[in-house]
Amino acid sequence: MPEIRLTMTREARTVLSDLLRLIAPAASRVAVRRARVPDEDADVASYWTSALEEHASEEARLLASAFAGAQGDPAVIMLRSEAQALAFLRAVSSVRLALRELVFSDIPDSRLEASEELDDESLPSEKRHAIACYACFGLLQQSLVAQLSPESLD
Amino acid sequence: MARPKIKPEVSTENSAKAERRWNVIVRNDPVNFMGYVVVAFVNVLRIPHDAAKQLMRLIHEEGRATVWTGGRERAEMLALELQQWHLDARLEPDA
Repeated sequence: MPEIRLTMTREARTVLSDLLRLIAPAASRVAVRRARVPDEDADVASYWTSALEEHASEEARLLASAFAGAQGDPAVIMLRSEAQALAFLRAVSSVRLALRELVFSDIPDSRLEASEELDDESLPSEKRHAIACYACFGLLQQSLVAQLSPESLD
Repeated sequence: MARPKIKPEVSTENSAKAERRWNVIVRNDPVNFMGYVVVAFVNVLRIPHDAAKQLMRLIHEEGRATVWTGGRERAEMLALELQQWHLDARLEPDA
């Protein structure tokens, strides 16, 4: 697999890195809480929960390391293997889910998809900031899917 | 030499449990992109892109779909992997 590059402005990299520092620990908790863990067998449930926690921690480390390594302007995240690219893809999904659940769960999906909320000045600035980051992470994710597996897109 | 007369114990309840089939269900979620879900299915379920796209569309249109049916252990493994892809996956006994 050729090396995959995700490019963003230095400003975007700084903003997303700052947000990641805040949201990454919560993203782990959201991933575990959101999962439907079968509870009929205590051993299975315990293994399942541990696996999700470990996986979520690994994703947080990967994101922190990827953004820390993206220097310069534009800032470039380099993903050198398919495994690394897939892990990054999952990690970004985790952050988007956490933002959606923790920061703007009150906003309907239809409004988010249309990005209407970005222009809604009646919203608190933190919420608008989080929505903008959510959209940026979405763009990164779509760019990654397009490079990694173009046949997955319609 | 005579064989020891040991009558095998047959438990109907246990064999029924062992043979029971389980569905791995994935429900629609508004956060993950369609392309992302296809990549997840290709990698976790090991199915071709076209089949993964069909499943993804079914979930998008119907709100949920059964993505795999079979034994409990494998179903658990797949549901866990799909959850690690942050999809809304769960197990249900096959009717």
